[in-house]
Amino acid sequence: MSDLLRLSAEQQYRNELDALIANEKYPVPTGWKMSPKSVLTYIMGGKSGGTEITPKYMGDKRVVEICIATLVTDRALLLIGEPGTAKSWLSEHLTAAINGDSSKVIQGTAGTTEEQIRYSWNYAMLLAKGPSHDSLVKSPVYSAMETGSIVRIEEISRCASEVQDALISILSEKRISVPELSEEVPAKKGFSVIATANTRDKGVNEMSSALKRRFNIVVLPAPSDMRTEINIVNTRVAQLADNFGLAASLPDSTAVERVVTVFRELRNGQTLDGQIKLKQTSGVLSSAEAISLLVNSMALAGSFGNGQITDGDLAAALQGAIVKDEAKDKAVWTEYLENVMRKRSGCASLYAECKERNS
Amino acid sequence: MAHYFGVRHLSPACAYYVCEFLNRVDAKLVLIEGPSDLDGLIGSLCGIDAALPAAILAYTEKAPVKTVLWPFAEFSPEYQAMKWAIKHNVQVRFCDLPASCQLAGSYNEEQDEKDFEEDDDTPPGESVYQKIEKAAGCDNDSFWEYSFEQCNDYDDFIAAVSEYGRNIRSDSQIDAHNIVREAYMRKIISEAESVVESDKIAVITGAFHTMGIKDTVFSDEDRKLTEKLKKIQIKATLMPYSYYRLSSRSGYGAGSKAPAFYEMLWKNRRSMTPENSAAEYLSKIALFQRKNGYAASTAEVIEAKRLACALARMRNGRYPNLNDLRDAAVTCIGHGSFGEISLACADTEIGTKIGSLPEGTVCTSVQEDFVRQLKELKLEKFRKAQAEETVLDLRENLRVKSEKSAFLDLHRSFFLHRLRVLGVHFGKNGCISQENATWKEAWILKWTPEAEIEIVEASLGGDTVADACEYVLNMSLASASSVTESSQILSDVFLCGLSDCVKSAVSAVQRQTADCSSACEIGKSVGFLSSVIRFGSIRRIDPQPVCPLLEKLFLRFCLCAKNAAVCDNKAAEDLISAVSVVNDACLSHDNLDDLRFLTLLSEITDSEFANPLVSGFACAVLCERGKIENETLSILISRKLSKGSSPADSALWFEGLARKNRRSLISRLSVWEKLCSFISQLDENEFKPVLVCLRRTFCEFTPNEKSDVAENIGEILGITKEAAAEFIMTEMSEEEKQNLEELDDFDFGDI
Repeated sequence: MSDLLRLSAEQQYRNELDALIANEKYPVPTGWKMSPKSVLTYIMGGKSGGTEITPKYMGDKRVVEICIATLVTDRALLLIGEPGTAKSWLSEHLTAAINGDSSKVIQGTAGTTEEQIRYSWNYAMLLAKGPSHDSLVKSPVYSAMETGSIVRIEEISRCASEVQDALISILSEKRISVPELSEEVPAKKGFSVIATANTRDKGVNEMSSALKRRFNIVVLPAPSDMRTEINIVNTRVAQLADNFGLAASLPDSTAVERVVTVFRELRNGQTLDGQIKLKQTSGVLSSAEAISLLVNSMALAGSFGNGQITDGDLAAALQGAIVKDEAKDKAVWTEYLENVMRKRSGCASLYAECKERNS
Repeated sequence: MAHYFGVRHLSPACAYYVCEFLNRVDAKLVLIEGPSDLDGLIGSLCGIDAALPAAILAYTEKAPVKTVLWPFAEFSPEYQAMKWAIKHNVQVRFCDLPASCQLAGSYNEEQDEKDFEEDDDTPPGESVYQKIEKAAGCDNDSFWEYSFEQCNDYDDFIAAVSEYGRNIRSDSQIDAHNIVREAYMRKIISEAESVVESDKIAVITGAFHTMGIKDTVFSDEDRKLTEKLKKIQIKATLMPYSYYRLSSRSGYGAGSKAPAFYEMLWKNRRSMTPENSAAEYLSKIALFQRKNGYAASTAEVIEAKRLACALARMRNGRYPNLNDLRDAAVTCIGHGSFGEISLACADTEIGTKIGSLPEGTVCTSVQEDFVRQLKELKLEKFRKAQAEETVLDLRENLRVKSEKSAFLDLHRSFFLHRLRVLGVHFGKNGCISQENATWKEAWILKWTPEAEIEIVEASLGGDTVADACEYVLNMSLASASSVTESSQILSDVFLCGLSDCVKSAVSAVQRQTADCSSACEIGKSVGFLSSVIRFGSIRRIDPQPVCPLLEKLFLRFCLCAKNAAVCDNKAAEDLISAVSVVNDACLSHDNLDDLRFLTLLSEITDSEFANPLVSGFACAVLCERGKIENETLSILISRKLSKGSSPADSALWFEGLARKNRRSLISRLSVWEKLCSFISQLDENEFKPVLVCLRRTFCEFTPNEKSDVAENIGEILGITKEAAAEFIMTEMSEEEKQNLEELDDFDFGDI
């Protein structure tokens, strides 16, 4: 096992990518490692030759098809969704499959500057030698254009608007000008951008319509049904537990189902059967949260318990995940416990544990 | 052997190749899947001035009316085959079960109307489409579009379609209904073969059936099946149809999800430019967006087209199909959200087109009467799928010469009311802002194929709209069980302008008045009759016969209302509205005994047993009419708000009082003084129910009225106006909020 906390997608799924490339049957676009169809297989799972390809994204196949088709047409792709709807996950795997390299990434923050999008200088060298190719520090976008590959921009709506604006001309002209060297770097075929943005950040730095127009926008939905979500949670929890070497057994199906049920109900503001209306919490209860919650309780059970996740572990983790804003969420959680969980059969001990922690 | 062509209904590609097929076969007789007893309608359906979509509608002569429909669009292969036959002067006939057998339900008694409409290609039980989806890896419509609609070679197409037919046949079960139908088709074909050279016969049916009738001879078993068929008396007509109805969105099984888009495909196929459909679809979406005030640039359309093409390539399609186009439109023009372009999609995919048929082809006399009246009343322009509002002025138009045009709007109103009574959903009452303006009427008119069917159904009642309406009203009078119902029918009689009906309606109301002892019912009836009398003259019907009836009902109300006032809170609301209606009637008719009504009110006001809400309201009516002395009122208020009665009752009484003439209530300082002292006497437990009641009372006050009340109370408590205003404007503290929230959980018990 590697001693890295987290392997990149192309490292982790090296054998799958190799198998897909080896068994390629369709034409491969310039700059791509495999055909669009194989990218789809890589993301949605399937078989390639004798190798089983694990599904990376569980959900609507059409969404992924639109994403890939967008990248085929040299258009930039913008993935929008609630937190935890696998935006970054999908973008990482798309680049891993298309380029075999998901490392060209700009993590957007309020502190991201225009230089990080375009290029900056090694100032010591700049002073010593003046502007030259040696003193130029290329940004991920710059090198993606040079190599004809895809660059990812995470959380684009957290960047200040002038930084976003820098992208506009890059995306329409497909070239970066470097006036200091009086030259212009054209993008090679295969260059594209995948950006992700969070719907909860709407309004933080509203994207200009000029920039939006340069993207094909795909909205990633929350898992449509219970079964898909349980499936996602199970798969990811198993992967993570393996990776962290947790000394606990995987949560059983009822535990996963209960957590997912609680999350779905609070997220949708009503019970699964639609009979009780519920208040919603201030935080986002995404599938990603559910995954980390379960991994968290596995860690608890493994480190301080007997290796089996108990209702107590679950209750502690649920409390932490749901009650983010003490005053408001606590009331919501109490209401949920009393009105829904207390009356649900088989949940008595979990209810008691949750109640004790929430008091 | 006859030549067979298996089609998918409403498929442009089939419609296109069916003509080619007929040319190649050089058919002398064309047999089409359709009701064999309705061949006669083919001529008018394919006539020059018929614009599709249209449908053949067959219906039973006797109630309950059952109907069965065969819709056709421009791109129906059946329709194109008929047109081809007529153009080439070739015989064309239907070969499916006669409509008379289908409506008799001879194959299965339990089959209902809905089953008739279901796609012939959808045998019940196991869904063959799920299997297709599994095999093709995409949904059935996409599969069809990629594989068939985009095919551009005749031989390939014929081979593919027959393979398709064979597969859906082998993957699905054949039910009794289809067995009989196919036996019947075989019968017709074998009969035809004895007359026409069998090599010159072309049979056009659903691909599913083709496999059943091809290569199978008409056997003795078939003979037995077809001889057993029951028949009933039916009538049939052509009717205009709409794309909306054709789209499966309105719950019609054999439809096409996107008729307008398919028409686009059809046109582009005819003009040999199938590649144009994508750009046309996307531009239409963009155009619709721009028309409706959204930005949609040409660049976006171009990008959408490129994305759609890329999607189609990924899915092995020659051109983008509807799904690709819609996905691309959502991504590029809708900025990721379908909601943004959903209306544009509906407009581009489904469309609002409705067909029209030349006069004389619509058959039932009521339909003809409907069409004639539309023309006479100049309402034809409303015969379209978009709803439009029209406002009628029922008064005589003095600027025109003929009587007919002077009362045009009145006659329109009669006509629309008659349709409403008949249950024909053509017009819907709109709202008129000016209250009680009964010389004005607003209608929202919208034509739907359903309305056409409803008109056909109405034909059971009579030969004209008016006759049918009279019949319906008489029937409902006979079955009306309460005085309210029959007086409502009486008012409908006036609205419909059916003076012949007045007498029977009046006597029905009279009969039921005697038996009725419910004050609420009588009150409602008084309302209906009062409006008939007040506004009957504008409809040019003498309301005189109704007057004695009103007097009688009014008297009955006065007699039974006092006892009715002793009731629970639920019944109180009904009674209050009845009292208020009767009060209005009292004010507008001189012939009613006003004094009796006022006495009734003061009795209710005084009564200690009457429901406090009703009692308070009666007092409010008296105040409004100025029929109660100030002093009496003051005593009354003191008594009602005194310690003796339960605080909850007092609060309810006050609520009743505040239902009317709030202004004058606000201006009486003494009222508020009493209310203040009443509240200050309450202890904690008593206060809560009262507070709930008072909150309910004041929630109906306007903000201005509320602040006036607050000022009054401020004055009583010795607080200045400014201080009171400031206090009201300050935000509620957390504690106060919580206290109020607790009230939400208040157990109302009996209040």
